[in-house]
Amino acid sequence: MLFNSYTFIAFFAIIMILHHLPFFKWTTKKVILLIASYIFYAAWNPPFILLLWLSTVVDYFVGKALYKQENKRKKNLLLVISLIGNLGMLCFFKYGGFLLENFTVLVNAIGINFHPAKPNIILPAGISFYTFTTLCYTIDMYKKHSEPVKSMLDFSLYVTFFPHLVAGPIVRPPQLATQFLTPKQGTRTTIMKGLFLISMGLFMKVVLADGMLSSSADMVFNTPSSVLPIDAWLGVLAFSGQIFFDFAGYSTCAVGAAMCLGFWLPQNFRSPYAAIGFSDFWRRWHITLSSWLRDYLYIPLGGNRKGELRTYVNLMTTMLLGGLWHGANWTFVVWGGLHGTYLCVERLFRPKKVGEIDPIPIPVTTASLAPGFMRSKTMNRFLLALLTFFLVNITWVFFRAQDFSTAWRMLSSMFGRANDGIAVLPTLNMVKVAVVVVGMVATQWFLRNTTVLEVAQKTKWWIVSIAWTLMLLAIILSQESSSSFIYFQF
Amino acid sequence: MSENNFIKAAILTAVITAGSIVGYELWLRNHGYSVSYDDDERLWANERKEVYQPSDDEVVFIGSSRIKFDLDIPTWKQETGTNAVQLAMVGSNPVPLLHDLAEDKNFKGRLVVDVTEVLFFNGAPPFQERPTKGLNAFKKQTPSDKAGYQISHFMESNLVLLDKDFFSMNAYLKKFGFKDREGVSSGDLPFPWEFDLTQYNRQSKMNDRFVKDTNLQNQVRMIWASLGRALKAPPPSPTHLDSMFAAVKADVDKIKARGGDVLFVRTPSTGPFWMGEQQGFPREKYWDRLLKETGCPGIHFMDQESTAHFQCPEFSHLSPSDAVIFTKDLAQLIQAKGWKFTNKKTI
Repeated sequence: MLFNSYTFIAFFAIIMILHHLPFFKWTTKKVILLIASYIFYAAWNPPFILLLWLSTVVDYFVGKALYKQENKRKKNLLLVISLIGNLGMLCFFKYGGFLLENFTVLVNAIGINFHPAKPNIILPAGISFYTFTTLCYTIDMYKKHSEPVKSMLDFSLYVTFFPHLVAGPIVRPPQLATQFLTPKQGTRTTIMKGLFLISMGLFMKVVLADGMLSSSADMVFNTPSSVLPIDAWLGVLAFSGQIFFDFAGYSTCAVGAAMCLGFWLPQNFRSPYAAIGFSDFWRRWHITLSSWLRDYLYIPLGGNRKGELRTYVNLMTTMLLGGLWHGANWTFVVWGGLHGTYLCVERLFRPKKVGEIDPIPIPVTTASLAPGFMRSKTMNRFLLALLTFFLVNITWVFFRAQDFSTAWRMLSSMFGRANDGIAVLPTLNMVKVAVVVVGMVATQWFLRNTTVLEVAQKTKWWIVSIAWTLMLLAIILSQESSSSFIYFQF
Repeated sequence: MSENNFIKAAILTAVITAGSIVGYELWLRNHGYSVSYDDDERLWANERKEVYQPSDDEVVFIGSSRIKFDLDIPTWKQETGTNAVQLAMVGSNPVPLLHDLAEDKNFKGRLVVDVTEVLFFNGAPPFQERPTKGLNAFKKQTPSDKAGYQISHFMESNLVLLDKDFFSMNAYLKKFGFKDREGVSSGDLPFPWEFDLTQYNRQSKMNDRFVKDTNLQNQVRMIWASLGRALKAPPPSPTHLDSMFAAVKADVDKIKARGGDVLFVRTPSTGPFWMGEQQGFPREKYWDRLLKETGCPGIHFMDQESTAHFQCPEFSHLSPSDAVIFTKDLAQLIQAKGWKFTNKKTI
């Protein structure tokens, strides 16, 4: 079920009523939420709910056993069982075709004539997200970082809770599972704030991503020939805005929906295009994934504790795998590799201080591009933010392009290396992209150190109301049919 | 803003939003606008699932916009006692739809294929875009899509403002009329709202204002003229034509082998449009060959006295009143070609 669909509005209204009825016990309300979450998921493809059940049951029991088990060998065996179960499922559904394709290329390259039938595997929605949710539980149990979830009901709800199920935010057991221990429901204020966030999330997705930007990005990236530099740049900027509004819109809806029900979900975006440098970017973009990668991949690999060279290797490995997590295509690996390179270069030039400790949880690395003397000046900081945004846009080319030839064609068009570029964007599209992207960067710079809810709290209530009304009217008038969120394919 | 003020903001938002929507809806209705469904892939997919009724009970229509305007579905029901499943798509090549029905082993019914030569014999990707979208929507419909469609249908049936082509934000932005750079085309065709009102059964109708207003008709004629210039391309090569005829024949044979039936119809066009079509697609090379190669019966509007003298207001589609007359004629002509309608009520 998509947040931007009539079905979801009806579904959510029913759930809100049932969840706030006074005569249901807390356990009954949890059962209702669980059933609702399964319905939410099954609304795409009912059979795939079996995978979700399998993952839930295996990880619940293996997690408990891992926590209690003191025998190191048995403990490792249990961990391997869980990893094979979770990653095996992910590998088969997400990377099966990709692995086979690459294997075929490889064996043919060494002279073996092998041409298997193309596998017809359907990717279950959100498999990457719920696999990471269950994986972190298993690893936490192995390391005894948190207590096992006591009831199967709470664990199932932790894995399946519909606001985060399909595209995050990726939640840790202590963040969500503990919230199911005591009765929760929205207060009048949290419900209103939640509805405000849902409206804002839908505005970002329906009006800005789908209504204003997606057609321009599609036009430019789907053109089979080179395009003029202005078209190429606007196409990439359009995608840059589209992917942000699409994914941040989803996350905002998820946080808002949970808030209406009385639950808290972590923030997933914090003005990423106002980032100064790449470690800052990854503190602000898809925060729950980058912190997951830091805690369950980068640090276990050794992080920055095993010398400089090893730190760089760990950084690159983490970002390359992070890229591959997004999709079974080498273009995503290159996207991750570019971000890894940026982070390594940034780390290389960062100012070194003796005994420096990371002040806040920083995903992946602790570097900062901005030298200290520049950080004090607002204009310099803004220019560095623009430079970061510029470099991020280069990476989006590989993320959006369906293959490398498209990516090279785009890059050569962007940098004026294509002689035969054609104009493709209608003037109205150019105006829309320019207005929305400039507005997006300016707004994110303004919100750099705060959140929308904090700003709303400080603003006069009638001004908030006018902004809210404009967002709702724009959603209704945009009349975009419910198109899927980009991150669902991951 | 205190916590309570958030609630005040929410209440004011609800009041202004509801007021604005009601006000806008009333304004549209007062200006003569009425409900018209978005003729998108979801509406098509909803109709596509209806093709499995026994052939005595329904006839399936595919083609382009002409049959959507020219077939009056209530008249068809009255004349034949069968339902008409309207699967034609505007501005599209119907061959992918024919292929889809041919490949669908559960389809064993009767099929009428409307032939607009410039689209039927055009394999260019833009003309297959809508059929592809429709087929994807039909094949990949999730339970959520189906439920959403029902709610969407209820909303569209009651709100005039839910008309994406004319009353959406992007439709208003297009009215700014920005001039495009040379060689760039937005692909937007400025059809007047009065030209094509889509009903839930996917029948298209011009409204009375359009039938009476020659300015509106001229606006559409200008669009046809500009499309004619833009689509000017060399005729399909003999090899391309051979393979096209072979593909159509193969699809027709599959349907016939399952007990189904296929009939081709050439709906009326007039004026410069008809002249241009005759020049670009000579009858003997296209229409006659199509019937010969497939072995199917065909009805060409120029072959019958009853259908040869219609006047299309904008040269390409019939007015609603003429559509009723044409549908009656079509029902009779089809029966004359051997199709029997056993459900037909005789007085």
